[in-house]
Amino acid sequence: MNTLALEATSLGRRYGKTWALQDCSLSLPTARVVALVGPNGAGKTTLLHLATGLLQPTSGSIHVLGERPGADPEILGRVGFVAQEMPLYRSFTVAEMLRFGGELNPTWDRSLAVDRLESLSIPFSQKVGTLSGGQRGQVSLAIALAKRPELLLLDEPLASLDPLARRDFLAALMESVAEHGVSIVLSSHLVSDLERVCDHLVVLRNGRVAVDGDIGGLVRSHRLVSGPRHTGALAGVGEVIDRTDTDRQTVALVRTVGPILDPAWTVREVDLEEIVLGYLGGREGSNAPADPTLRAVRPAPSEVGS
Amino acid sequence: MIWLTWRQHRAQALATLIGLGAIGVFSLITGPRIAAAFRELHTCLVVPGQDCGLLHESFDRRFNGLQFVIPLYMVVPLLMGVFLGAPLIAREVEQGTHRLAWTQSVTRGRWALTKIGLVAAFTVAATALFAWMVTIWSAPLVAASGDRFGFGVFDLRGIVPIAYALFAVALGTALGASIRKTLPAMAATLGAFAAVRVAVELLLRPRYLPSQTISYSFLQQSPRFGLGDWVLSSRVFDPTGRFVSPDGSITVSPSALAHVCPGVTRGVAFPDKDQVGRCLGQLGVRFVDTYQPGGRYWLFQGIESAIFLSAAAGLIVLAVWLIRRRIS
Repeated sequence: MNTLALEATSLGRRYGKTWALQDCSLSLPTARVVALVGPNGAGKTTLLHLATGLLQPTSGSIHVLGERPGADPEILGRVGFVAQEMPLYRSFTVAEMLRFGGELNPTWDRSLAVDRLESLSIPFSQKVGTLSGGQRGQVSLAIALAKRPELLLLDEPLASLDPLARRDFLAALMESVAEHGVSIVLSSHLVSDLERVCDHLVVLRNGRVAVDGDIGGLVRSHRLVSGPRHTGALAGVGEVIDRTDTDRQTVALVRTVGPILDPAWTVREVDLEEIVLGYLGGREGSNAPADPTLRAVRPAPSEVGS
Repeated sequence: MIWLTWRQHRAQALATLIGLGAIGVFSLITGPRIAAAFRELHTCLVVPGQDCGLLHESFDRRFNGLQFVIPLYMVVPLLMGVFLGAPLIAREVEQGTHRLAWTQSVTRGRWALTKIGLVAAFTVAATALFAWMVTIWSAPLVAASGDRFGFGVFDLRGIVPIAYALFAVALGTALGASIRKTLPAMAATLGAFAAVRVAVELLLRPRYLPSQTISYSFLQQSPRFGLGDWVLSSRVFDPTGRFVSPDGSITVSPSALAHVCPGVTRGVAFPDKDQVGRCLGQLGVRFVDTYQPGGRYWLFQGIESAIFLSAAAGLIVLAVWLIRRRIS
């Protein structure tokens, strides 16, 4: 496949005098599950709104599946979107929400939505406003999937869900990836939840792309090194992402370009969360001061929404 | 889209139909009685020179109480603007459901035009029915008073109520799309609609065409009596052309009267009204009326409707532009 799921070139969006997203260039391949990570206000929602055509870029350009987002019904039909807070018509019953999907989408797969919601025992005659958060999330996902999109964008779908509902939601999402080969872009600030399901990572910070790459590759190329307090160069290190200096010691997240063989340094592998936190708290970090325990900058679960 | 619009606004549609039904029932109960009473009055009025004063007075007394419906009926277009127009876009944006709707396989231009188009069509149909009921029901009352241009009469009959309602709905829709909060949009619609209606009624309507002027003796009835004119002013001038009174009433001191027409006041405390009038007429005191001829009624209805309909069209264009370019 040579069309990309999402391609942005010097994309920027300004609100008044503030740039919510600036000079953003991305190439997201199809058939991937992309995690779009960043703290609140990093530009995740702005990027997703640009990708759905809800917003128009101030500068640069964005294409989804090779087309301009939201330009016509055809591309609207090929891109599914679950907005933040998962808006639904609260006075509609579940059955009416499904009818809504059918009326507005020529590619609607009613049985997909019905089967999915039946298997979750969500009552069709119940008003959407009276469903639990988890159930509403499942209804939103069912509507987005039943239009049979090639690309599904989800804006903080996990934020309003409790851990159990979160697990069920991700399971449902993964099931549909496996069944229909949908490309997915999922924004979140809960990195630990995404580790199991995503294979591509985009980190946004202050409206700019901090890192963009295949998760396997990122994990392979990043290391946490610790050694004597040291300011000089270290062989094998391409870039210091984030460093913490104490009186005697330096601990740093680095991108390696070769093996680090210096015996004075201990080197260990990192997980996705450490990479994300490293990029978020890194050199240009304005969100959190460098801290010996990097985990301390993890956003609290209460900080949902942006 | 049609089903969605119906499903989202069926409660308002139902409330509108219940309101129209109530007006219909009220009209059916009171209408035939008014019509019967007017037929009696009319048989007297058609005979030239016959004094129908008492009959007229009793007709007026009997149905004067019905004026209570005027303020109720006057707010019908306003209610449509506030409850149908203002929430149309504002509620979607407030609840975030616009993002759900705009990411289905329907462009927002089509979404907006279908929604606004269907609500506008419903508004036209509902207010056409309303205006038709009120026009028929009030026809005897208007014929008895001879006033088709008055406040609460011109505004409730003919075609202008339809234009008002369409304007109110378009205004509510555009304000909702720019304010994006339901309650503030409703309040703004209420204020803006009332301001525009009052401004047009007081400042524009009397000036759609240049008014005409007629001058006649204090002794006479206006030669244009019964032609259904809209009399804008009726003033009294003395023989030298000096302006005497702004409203057709005239205050004359007994001593002045005794000086001019000695016969009228001699030996009586309260001179006869007709004799005083005759005296003033002999003196050359005249009425000068400015008026819009009754024949311009439908022209004025058309002009006023055109004003509100073109404003409505502009507001709908604005709302669609806001939806397509300014909301996300």
